[in-house]
Amino acid sequence: MKEDAAAAGTATPRDVAVRISELRRAFGPVVALDGARLEARAGEVHALVGENGAGKTTLLSILAGHLRPDAGRIEVDGRPVAEGRAWSAREAWSLGIGMVHQHFALVPRLTGRENLMLGVRRVRGGWGLPTRRLGERLGRLELETGLRVDLDTPVEALTIGERQRLEILKVLLRDPRTLVLDEPTSVLAPPEVEGLLALLRRLAAEGRAVLLVAHKLDEVLEVADRITVLRAGRTVLEAARGEVTARSVAEAMVGDAGALDAPARAEVRVGEVRARWSARADGTDLELRAGEIVGVAGVEGNGQRALARTLAGRATAAEGRVELPERVAYIPQDRGREGLIGSFDLTENVALGRHGDPGVRTGPFGLALRWRLLREETGALIEGYGVRAPGPGARAASLSGGNQQRLVVARELHGRPRLVVAENPTRGLDVAGARFVHDALRELRSRDDAPATLLVSTDLDEVLSLADRIFTLVRGRLVEVPAAERTREGVGARMLEALP
Amino acid sequence: MIRARWWGPLVGVGLALAITSLALALGGYDVSAALAALWRGAFGSEQAIASFTLKRSVPLLLTGLAVALAFRAGIWNIGAEGQLYAGAVAGFAVGFAGGGLPAPLLLPLVLLASLMAGAVWAALPALLRSRNGTNEVITTLLLNFVALHLTGWLVQGALQEPRGVFNESAPLPTAAHLPTLWPGTDLHIGFALAIGAAGALWAIFRFTRAGFLIRAIGEGPEAARITGGVRSNRLATAVFLASGALAGLAGAVQVTGVDRKLYDALSPGWGYTAIAVALLARLNPLAVIATAIFFGALQAGAAGMQRSAGVPFAWVTVVEAIAVLGVLIAARERTPR
Repeated sequence: MKEDAAAAGTATPRDVAVRISELRRAFGPVVALDGARLEARAGEVHALVGENGAGKTTLLSILAGHLRPDAGRIEVDGRPVAEGRAWSAREAWSLGIGMVHQHFALVPRLTGRENLMLGVRRVRGGWGLPTRRLGERLGRLELETGLRVDLDTPVEALTIGERQRLEILKVLLRDPRTLVLDEPTSVLAPPEVEGLLALLRRLAAEGRAVLLVAHKLDEVLEVADRITVLRAGRTVLEAARGEVTARSVAEAMVGDAGALDAPARAEVRVGEVRARWSARADGTDLELRAGEIVGVAGVEGNGQRALARTLAGRATAAEGRVELPERVAYIPQDRGREGLIGSFDLTENVALGRHGDPGVRTGPFGLALRWRLLREETGALIEGYGVRAPGPGARAASLSGGNQQRLVVARELHGRPRLVVAENPTRGLDVAGARFVHDALRELRSRDDAPATLLVSTDLDEVLSLADRIFTLVRGRLVEVPAAERTREGVGARMLEALP
Repeated sequence: MIRARWWGPLVGVGLALAITSLALALGGYDVSAALAALWRGAFGSEQAIASFTLKRSVPLLLTGLAVALAFRAGIWNIGAEGQLYAGAVAGFAVGFAGGGLPAPLLLPLVLLASLMAGAVWAALPALLRSRNGTNEVITTLLLNFVALHLTGWLVQGALQEPRGVFNESAPLPTAAHLPTLWPGTDLHIGFALAIGAAGALWAIFRFTRAGFLIRAIGEGPEAARITGGVRSNRLATAVFLASGALAGLAGAVQVTGVDRKLYDALSPGWGYTAIAVALLARLNPLAVIATAIFFGALQAGAAGMQRSAGVPFAWVTVVEAIAVLGVLIAARERTPR
């Protein structure tokens, strides 16, 4: 029936796999969902977009059976489910809803095959591992979807993209009719994103409904057949791909067209900052000048970490020379682990980056810290950078991802650094959060004592929009991209060229 | 990291007393008589307070601080017991050999020796941890047995009393005795020393950069290294050694303040109880004073309970364990998914 509809082409209205209407859910005084609607159809890729806090995660949690809605209806394949009661994760599964979470549930030490085996039920009457049955099903799935993963390597040795494909494979093994993915592209590099989007289209083409939660509009517009925009817990836009533009979707998300326009480009100044770094024995020299943003584009795992850490003075160069200025600001990629301590309050997190500064030290030999001063400074940073937090005494873990990153950016950029190293600074942030980070980096160029900035990012668009000069980083080697080739295609071609 | 609501410890203690009462009743004991005896044994008189409760709390306080310091830095030093023995042996050896020196000169030397010996006993686990990432729980625990049996071997050999009958050493010269703090009781100035150590440690955590960074490597080692620029391996090693030194000090304070001899089983497991002391105090050095005295009182009271209500001493171990379990239950924090 479903396949008939899919085969009949777009003219026939497809079966609605999941219909959510008037969904409502509050957490105490905070209303997360306030009448959200959504219709995901079989054979289509459906994108759910919205800013952080728009209610996407709550909606997904309800759909997955982890949360109970306060009100509203959920229909799966036309049948209402769990009216007036919570439904369980198991029930969601049995109705054919498969979730691929943002954080993968894989055992790092086990191979891909072993991880898959954990998700397969025991063969009836047998005690052994279901190796053969699993093998058959994997073969079939690979034929159908072209999804290939190295199954004999321990998961900890796989790239993020490979782990994600494994996670998707794990969910597909249970043969869901609706596949839900929570921000799957946020962890991937551009080429991997292409692959994932192609995979999602194939999965939909086989008659599944694919529901995709995403931040990045261009990806959404590329892959989705239909789009639902959530804002402040409400569905504000439901449309087919053909009916919207990137701008209309963005406006629906933000609810304010004026906030979208980027500020004018700042003037570039040349100064005295120099940093040299040799990537390989054949040595690539990199010079960073004050007032300039140098972008390093590349696919994850090509030495970005080492480059960023070396230039931030957090790691020593294996070879070659690095001349760094005294004050280096570092915005690390993993803010939750590397940039902040969740159990510390905001003042302590500011102190973490400032404790070496003579201005905050006091007492004999500068052994003590001036906590009152630090608390005042933290208060000022919260105000000045628009960190949404109850105060300097709030724990960092209680802040949303976007506000955590605001705090990190505020702390790092406030101390008049001479060099700023930012490593995937907008990863996992929503439109507003990313815009804040981009504006903060752009603003640096117009300072009187403008620092040199190194932006290491796997987000090619980010590099293209911010950087004055662009390098590609492939297998640890830096190659400058000529000014004429600073386009998506040009940089992409350079990246491929650098491969042997 | 252990994080608790402030009332967690109170709930733990309350829970412990309630369960103990119930168990005593089920065991056929007169609960009110037993609890009264417990109270009298711990706080019933000046002697009970000073010579029993507070005196017993001194080694618990010092080892409790050692554990709290290490745990704060994310170092799971389970070896306070062994470090205590190492400190006791070194302190005794110096005190015994330096018998001719005047007390004001000898005592600092004794205490210094015990600090160093405790640090040395922690050095191997600290080194293995920073060099190879070897799990310190295993290494420190194993070294406890080495220290215990090495002490036993010494008091049956090189350091045995001249007649060679008992498994103990000859007595320390009086110059190596810690002076009394509370006249007329057995309470020695080791108690004041331990309180001072707790205050100092509290101030370090509260005000100093070093204390802040120690907490940082415990709570977020990656962030401390990447954002804080802390050489966390080096700092962790230093904290590990300091923790060992504090536990070593506990050994010498016990030998010079109370035993005045070296015994083969000089500690009834203070280094292990110290873990409970530190956890119950939520690793706060000032709170360690309270929990150490609480555990000291339990042990003092248990002796009284055994004497006058016939309740076996082992019951106290039960109370201690339930108190810690109670705190851990109350400490359970809801984490959002």
